[in-house]
Amino acid sequence: MALSVSEALPAPLTRRQIWSVGGGKGGIGKSLLAASVGWQLARMGRQVVLVDADLGGANLHTCLGLPMPQRTLADFIQRRVSSIEEVVTDTAAPGLRLVSGAGDLLSAANIKHLQKVRVMNQVRALEVDVVLIDLGAGTSYNILDFFLLSDVSILAVVPEPTSIENGYRFIKSALYRRMRAAAPTESARRLVNAALDPRSPSGIKTPVDLLARMEEQEPESAQALRREVAAFQPRFVVNEIRDVADVAIGHQLVAACGRHLGVRATYAGFVHHDDAVWQAVRRRRLFMADAPTSRAAEEIRQLTRGLVKGESLGSGY
Amino acid sequence: MEAATDPAPREGDLYAVLGLEPRASREQVERAYRFSLELYGEGSLATYSLLEPAEAEQQRARVRQAYEVLGDEQRRRVYDEAHGFPPPDSPVLPFAPSTPAAPAVEIPAVLGGKDLRQVREARGVSLRHIAAVTKIGLRFLEYIEEDRFDFLPAPVYLRGFLQEYARLVGLDPRRAADAYMNRRVGKK
Repeated sequence: MALSVSEALPAPLTRRQIWSVGGGKGGIGKSLLAASVGWQLARMGRQVVLVDADLGGANLHTCLGLPMPQRTLADFIQRRVSSIEEVVTDTAAPGLRLVSGAGDLLSAANIKHLQKVRVMNQVRALEVDVVLIDLGAGTSYNILDFFLLSDVSILAVVPEPTSIENGYRFIKSALYRRMRAAAPTESARRLVNAALDPRSPSGIKTPVDLLARMEEQEPESAQALRREVAAFQPRFVVNEIRDVADVAIGHQLVAACGRHLGVRATYAGFVHHDDAVWQAVRRRRLFMADAPTSRAAEEIRQLTRGLVKGESLGSGY
Repeated sequence: MEAATDPAPREGDLYAVLGLEPRASREQVERAYRFSLELYGEGSLATYSLLEPAEAEQQRARVRQAYEVLGDEQRRRVYDEAHGFPPPDSPVLPFAPSTPAAPAVEIPAVLGGKDLRQVREARGVSLRHIAAVTKIGLRFLEYIEEDRFDFLPAPVYLRGFLQEYARLVGLDPRRAADAYMNRRVGKK
C-alpha cells in the first residue's frame, strides 16, 4: 500500500519517547495493539523498538509473525548478556525491531527492583525514536512503574464490565503509586497508604477524596500531589468495539475519570472487532501487513497519527 | 495539544456538572445533558463500578437540575450574570480567527463532505480551529469531510457535530446538517 504524504514525511520527534500499552486485564488485545501501533509508527518513518514486558505470558513475537527469538529480555535480566541491544531482534518491517519477552523465565514476571531499574535504564538508552512497551496484565508494581515512566501511556479496554473495572483499578493503582513516590512528608505518605488500603477506615475512596483530605491536613503536600495528578494523563483506546454505541464508551470513561477520579484522561481512539484481525492471527501474521485495507488497520493508522500529534477524540458532546 | 479533558466538578458550578465551560453553546448544553444522563444511566458501563446506585441517582438529579437552568435561555442568562460568567459562544481562544463574513450559501438538499470542505477552505477556516472551538475531535471532522460514515458517531451526535461545523464556516447549521444526513442515509 502506498504511503500517504503525512506518512512519507514524518515530523521529527523532539526526543526519544517511551510509549506503553497497559490495561489491567488479560486477553483484551494489548499485544496486538502494541504490535500494530509499533508497525504503523515504523511505517511513518520512526525507528521503533517494541519491548515485550509481559514477562509471564510474552507473545509479541507471535503477533509479528516471528518464531521465538534466540535471545530475549530474560537473557538480559539474568545477565547472560550485558546490553539490552544484544537481545534486539529485527522484524520483517523496516524500522521495527523487537525485544522479546519470551523465554524460560517463569519467575521473570516478578523481577526484582534492581533488575527493573537496569531494564528501565537500558530501555531509555536505546538509540531509537520510540520504545513501545507491551505491559502484561495486572497491576503489579513492575507494570505500573513501566506505565508511569512512559511519555505516552496507553490504557486499553474493551467494552465489557470486567475490563472497565480493571481499567479503573489500573488507573487508581498507578496514580496512587505516583503520588506516594512524590509525597514530600512521611505523614503525606501515610495518607496515600491509607487510600491504597480498601479496608482503611479513612473513608478515602478516590484520588479526589485523597487530595481533599491532604488539603485539610497538609496544604503544601496537597499542592505537590496535585501536580502529580495533573501530569498523569492516560490515553484510552477502546478495543474490540462491535457497534457505534461502543465508540461513546471511551468518551464516557474520560468523563468519569475527570469527574470522579480527578484524572485528566483522554480518548485516543477505538478499534473495531474485525475478522481480518482474527484471520491474520490464525496465520501468525500481523493484520496491518496481512489486511491493510481492513477497518481495524485503518483505525490503527488513525489512532497512531493522533497519538503522534497528541490529539484525541474530543469530549464526545 | 488539543484539549479533551473533563475536569472534576467545581462545587456549585452547574456548567461543571455537565462537564462544560461557561461559554458553551446552546447545542453543546443539549449534547452534554444527553451525554451526562447516559453516563449516569442505570447499567452504565462507565460508572457502575465507580458509583453506588444511590450516588448515580444523585448525579442524574444534579444533571437534570443543571439542565433546567442552562437549557433555559432566560434562566441561564440570570445565572451567568449572577456568577460573572461570559455569555455563550464568546471566543474560546484568545487568537482564534472569527467566523469570516461571507455571502450566504444556497444549501442543496444533499450535501457531501467534499462540499463542506470546499466551503470551509473558501472561507479560510482550518479544521484545527473548528476542533479547538467546538472540542470535536479533529479526526471526526476529517471523517465528516471524507464521508467516512462507518467511522462517525451515532446520528444524534453527528448532527450536533455538523451543526457546530456549519456554524463556524458560515452555513445555516440546521439545513447543512439535514443535507449531510440525507447524503449519509443515501450512502448507507
